[in-house]
Amino acid sequence: MILPPSLGALATVFSESFVLYLNLLDRLPGGPIILRYIRLSYKNDPIRSVFELALFLFAVHYFLMSKRKENKDVLKLSKREIDGLCADWKPEPLLDPVTDEEKWQLKCVPVIHGQNGAHISVSLQHSKGTQRQVVNLASYDFLNLNESERVKEAAKDTISSTGVGACGPPNFYGTQDVHVRLEEDLANYFGGEQAIIYGQDFVTAGSVIPAFLKRGDLCVVDSGVNIAIQKALIVSRCDIEWFDHNDTEHLEQILKEIKPVLDKQKPIKRRFIVTEGLFANTGDLPKLPEIVRLKNKYKYRLFLDETLSIGSLGKSGRGVVEHFDIPRSEISITIGSLANSLASSGGFCVGVNPMVHHQRISSLAYVFSASLPPYSARAASQSLREIGEDLDKDGKSKLVSKLHDNISFVRATLAKSIPTQYLSIVSEKLSPIIHLQLNEKYRESLGFPLFYGSAEFLNTGKPSRTLNEFSHSLNWESFILQKIIDGCLLQYGILITRSHNILKHENLPLTPPHLMVMVKVGVEQEELNALSKALSAVVPEVCSRYASEASFLSSTNELINY
Amino acid sequence: MAPSAKSSHRKALEPTLGHDSIDDYEYSHAGNALGGVGGASQAAASGGLNAGKAQRRPSAQPMTAKASFNPINSARTSLLNVLSGTKGGSKKNRNGAVDGGDYADAKGRRMSDEPTPAGEVIRNYLMNTSSSSSFISASSTSSAASTNTSSGTSGLTKDRGTLLTPTSSMMASPLSSPELHKHGLPNPAKSPAQLASSLGHAMSQPLSTFNRFDEIHIPPYELSENMISILEHPLGRSAQRAYATSMGNSASGGLPYAASHAQEGTMMTMLTGPSATNGGGAPGAVASQTGTLVGGKSGAKHEEFGFCMNQNWRYTSQYDPKAKEAEELQPPYYILLTTYFSYLVMICLGHIRDFCGKRLYPQSYSHLKPSNGYAALNSDFDSFYTRRLKARMDDCFSRPVTGVAGRTIVTYDRISKDFNENFHLTGTRRRALNISSYNYLGFAQATGGVADAVEAGLKRYGVSSGGTRLEAGTLDLHVQVEKLVSQFVGTEDAMIVSMGFATNSTTIPALVDKGCLVISDELNHASIRFGVRLSAASIRVFKHNDMRALETLLREAISQGQPRTHRPWKKILVIVEGLYSMEGSLVHLPELIVLKEKYKFYLYVDEAHSIGALGPNGRGVCDYFGVDPRSVDLLMGTFTKSFGAAGGYIAGSKEVIDRLRIRSHAMAYAEAMSPLVMTQIMASMASIMGVSPPLASAIQPTIHVPHLDAMHRSVSESVLNMTETQLAHVPGPAVYGPAPSTTLPTWLHLSPSLLNGTEGRERLRRLAFNSRYLSGALRKMGFIVYGHRDSPIVPMLLYNPAKMPMFSRMMLDRFGKDKTPIVVVVVAYPATPLISSRVRFCLSAAHTKHDIDVVLRACDEIGNVLDLKHGDKKDRWSADECMRRAEEIVFSN
Repeated sequence: MILPPSLGALATVFSESFVLYLNLLDRLPGGPIILRYIRLSYKNDPIRSVFELALFLFAVHYFLMSKRKENKDVLKLSKREIDGLCADWKPEPLLDPVTDEEKWQLKCVPVIHGQNGAHISVSLQHSKGTQRQVVNLASYDFLNLNESERVKEAAKDTISSTGVGACGPPNFYGTQDVHVRLEEDLANYFGGEQAIIYGQDFVTAGSVIPAFLKRGDLCVVDSGVNIAIQKALIVSRCDIEWFDHNDTEHLEQILKEIKPVLDKQKPIKRRFIVTEGLFANTGDLPKLPEIVRLKNKYKYRLFLDETLSIGSLGKSGRGVVEHFDIPRSEISITIGSLANSLASSGGFCVGVNPMVHHQRISSLAYVFSASLPPYSARAASQSLREIGEDLDKDGKSKLVSKLHDNISFVRATLAKSIPTQYLSIVSEKLSPIIHLQLNEKYRESLGFPLFYGSAEFLNTGKPSRTLNEFSHSLNWESFILQKIIDGCLLQYGILITRSHNILKHENLPLTPPHLMVMVKVGVEQEELNALSKALSAVVPEVCSRYASEASFLSSTNELINY
Repeated sequence: MAPSAKSSHRKALEPTLGHDSIDDYEYSHAGNALGGVGGASQAAASGGLNAGKAQRRPSAQPMTAKASFNPINSARTSLLNVLSGTKGGSKKNRNGAVDGGDYADAKGRRMSDEPTPAGEVIRNYLMNTSSSSSFISASSTSSAASTNTSSGTSGLTKDRGTLLTPTSSMMASPLSSPELHKHGLPNPAKSPAQLASSLGHAMSQPLSTFNRFDEIHIPPYELSENMISILEHPLGRSAQRAYATSMGNSASGGLPYAASHAQEGTMMTMLTGPSATNGGGAPGAVASQTGTLVGGKSGAKHEEFGFCMNQNWRYTSQYDPKAKEAEELQPPYYILLTTYFSYLVMICLGHIRDFCGKRLYPQSYSHLKPSNGYAALNSDFDSFYTRRLKARMDDCFSRPVTGVAGRTIVTYDRISKDFNENFHLTGTRRRALNISSYNYLGFAQATGGVADAVEAGLKRYGVSSGGTRLEAGTLDLHVQVEKLVSQFVGTEDAMIVSMGFATNSTTIPALVDKGCLVISDELNHASIRFGVRLSAASIRVFKHNDMRALETLLREAISQGQPRTHRPWKKILVIVEGLYSMEGSLVHLPELIVLKEKYKFYLYVDEAHSIGALGPNGRGVCDYFGVDPRSVDLLMGTFTKSFGAAGGYIAGSKEVIDRLRIRSHAMAYAEAMSPLVMTQIMASMASIMGVSPPLASAIQPTIHVPHLDAMHRSVSESVLNMTETQLAHVPGPAVYGPAPSTTLPTWLHLSPSLLNGTEGRERLRRLAFNSRYLSGALRKMGFIVYGHRDSPIVPMLLYNPAKMPMFSRMMLDRFGKDKTPIVVVVVAYPATPLISSRVRFCLSAAHTKHDIDVVLRACDEIGNVLDLKHGDKKDRWSADECMRRAEEIVFSN
């Protein structure tokens, strides 16, 4: 084959540089191996070398192309068109301003002056900020430990040696000795192998659940769980099956139905049953013995949210598990709050060693957040002692039995005197939070729906992509309850509260709003008696004003000018 | 002075007493085992001095007597050292002979006397399986043969337990430390035998990170002598002069200083002891003045907040358009190659270990495998990184500490006998220089005016706020703090949340939903990503801090609209951080504001690290760049870092914040902020702002270096001009004025120096100096440092994964002449890219220049051994040169 002179020169240059590079390759570590391969391959079959080169080039091409293919449906626009589109685009406002109808929700928040305890000094924005001394049946500090001098003393101790903030995440010098001690105390008290502390109670579920549940894992969840768990499940992206609230037969039916599918699964995926120790939305207890039996039968793990039940249930405040006399080891993951009965702040999770250990590295709110302030940890330790050390003859905590006495007393008086045509009690007998709901018939006459929000999440297992719309009915129903609260506060000096749910964010159907009475230690029986008196007087007075849907129209001004 | 039995004991003690005084250039400690002290007479004199201090202190300042170190013991230890015959006493004692101007130089000369062979250092280091500090004595070449390396870890533990302090025989009884047992749940006192058995029990438990605190006996803490010297930082002549000058100033109108010093009573007492050794005429005068100055119990402890008088060591953090930005340097290729290679080796080894381990020890893998019909809680693949890579350096993480995370911190020593699976407390503690905590303004204090306010708050409010904000958890304090925060930040309104992480993760879902686009910087914090995941919004990511990439992305997003349907986005929210916690880089806020005008997106700036730490008034990036805070839609920040508290805030227009109040999860479902945290916030924030009346007066810096005089003055003038122009242009609350006293509760009593804002301003200016000094000096010394020069976060690149644990351990167990332990944070994948492992220094106003000198020297020593200096090859300075020319480093553009 004869090449034209110019091409010939090019070929020479090419071959020379080729040899040069091959020589260079020879010097690289591992180069000789490649070189030998190329030589052998060429010697045996020159066509194969060409084929291999083509393959290599294709691989490079494919590798480079794969990045470009990401976005297919891109409109091709000129620079001018883009400029025009950018100039034309009008965004919605960052957040819609609070409407006149909703403004009362901002104004109705009571402001407590001084210490929050059984008796407080409170002012309302709409009553010109005058302070009044009232009985507090609205805070979660059921055992009234915020007023305990010993808890204060413990906190003071830590503050005078450590200051206020922990100034670092737990992994970077934010683990103080008091944190380690609290973890030990919690593990001991609640019967787990190890415990881990979080900086806030609300994020605990949202951080613990996604640490263990990944895409493809399965959760069978009570359909009455609180919003923290709902959000946690959404973030974890696991598969969700719902069983009817507190209906273990339905639970068993579901477990039975999906068993054949799961049996074929290989490798097996993580499976959890998720429920609450004391339901925040409804105030009832789960049927734990039955759930434990089922989870053992079908080999599920149990996730239990004891945020409200700790300190209030069981003879020594060890939660719903103690109440039903079930060993803590049956519950794989227990989460709870330090901010409610323990009168401190933060949340925690208790369980077996590998479970807790895993969170120390892969639970977002633990790893990427500063530790709980050391004094909070110390105060929580002290609170546990206050609950667990002062026992009576039967081994029952004196503090907790005081609470139980108060609860049964309030329940008894309320059962007698409550105006049943307007109100009905929803919560379980033992719940320290007494949920009162407007009577069904009364609600019907006002045209309120059975529930608020959408049921899409329940039906499909996927959260609705659109947020719930503003509901006028919910706004009015909450307003009626707020009027009752105001009546009790202004006329009888008793502060109670109502459930505050943000409809927009609730993924599950939302039960109608409740009046909530938080029974606590430190309140005298006469004061509790006064509560039922107040309710029996205020409720008919308020409710009789709103007899039908038409009455809302006429009293719109009252709502706006609250 | 022949080495005796006692001296070999001494050697065993050295690791914990970690010896060499860091301040020995000005006065020497008797117990200077390695550094050497002239003769017995001097040593005895010095010991006597210690004793003298011990007598003086309680009478002058009752608070210090309560402090955790025991002067009598330290004196006794000093004497013990003398008796035991310390070696290497050939060096001259430069007591009092060093002048302020050249002390660093003098120190440098002394430091370079005794080089330690790097090879031996590493070999010794590798011989040591545990993270304990026997390393120091093993590597000190001048000392007699080490006893530790041969005795093994168990022997070491025993040695420490019994020989640590002269009082150890007393400590053997559990009764001697009642404060340990009154804490925590009831635990019967145990005999030593029981203790030993319970220790054994603790060891057998898998995966437990610590021994149970109640079971292990920890003797009362005793301060090592080098720490004593760091705490009693003796003032050099220059500092004395500065002090005298400021006193002079106070007479001639510079009142703020005098007031602030009056509050630093404790520091003043500290001053008397060391200065006496200087033997000059000035100390007497100072001491007599001190007598009149000591007052109140609100003085701060030296171990929490360093005392620094030198007004040259101040700087104002402010954007300078003329300053050239520090370039990001690249390491040589061999570093990159070896880094990848080490990861490759570790991954291969890990898989081999897993392969063999699963067959040989199936029980230790049981929690990773399905058993009995249950899937494993986490798979072995997911946990590979943590088990096989991170576990190798677990001893550098989660070190348990106690006490204030201020200028120094006390760490518990721990060892591991099973390759970091379990750790056991040895029963000893060490006070170390703390360059890792988020304590930018040094408000992590258990003493001082802010701490007093918190105690008053505790009496009034208790610990808990008792509920959610919308129910019955809103205290009057919440209302007041929200108002104060909005005044501090310069916005209309603000809302506070009880946890920093939750501030982002609960607010973002309230802002955006389906059909909205979030554009986020690629290095944004996990809480932001978590919040965006909770909302159903789409998310796009742009290259870190690259405004051009952001603009391209914005143009594309707006013109293309939503995917598939091409409907226009409902709104676009750009989320950036003010100061990035792993990079130390600052957001380009002015450019971002220009883009915002042009493309109409909403801007959310996470100021978790920058609030309090940046800007001439400490109000974050807006203040730093001179941008009107109201031109940013939402400013988020935390109270953890600069205010020594916890929680976070969201600030913005009243309309937006009001909507958030009834739509954010944090308000309806989460616990409200604790009243004590709020008191801390209020006191610290008010002291940065100053309270009106009295108004904070502008500070005129006193300058002593002539050639820098003009430069610095111009800086301070431009600051003043800036605030004046701001006053002219921006009406209303956006001006960073003092806090109106009506905002603060009537029961909150602050000392005058806090009220007039002088102390706050001092803290800001000290932090700014420290930040620029450390990052500038490290660069000058040839390290690769990321981030902005004004950033209080200084990440220094290590690259090779094995260097991370080495660096961290070597900083804690220093091997050079100066044995001050330093705690550092090392960060690696996944918090950073795989290749760029780093150490992250967090500076604080609590550090003195001297503390930073210590860090620099440590970095220099360790950097040489670990081959870390890969930065600029031209014009490198030695550590000593950096120390001497500190002002030049800081004030140059």
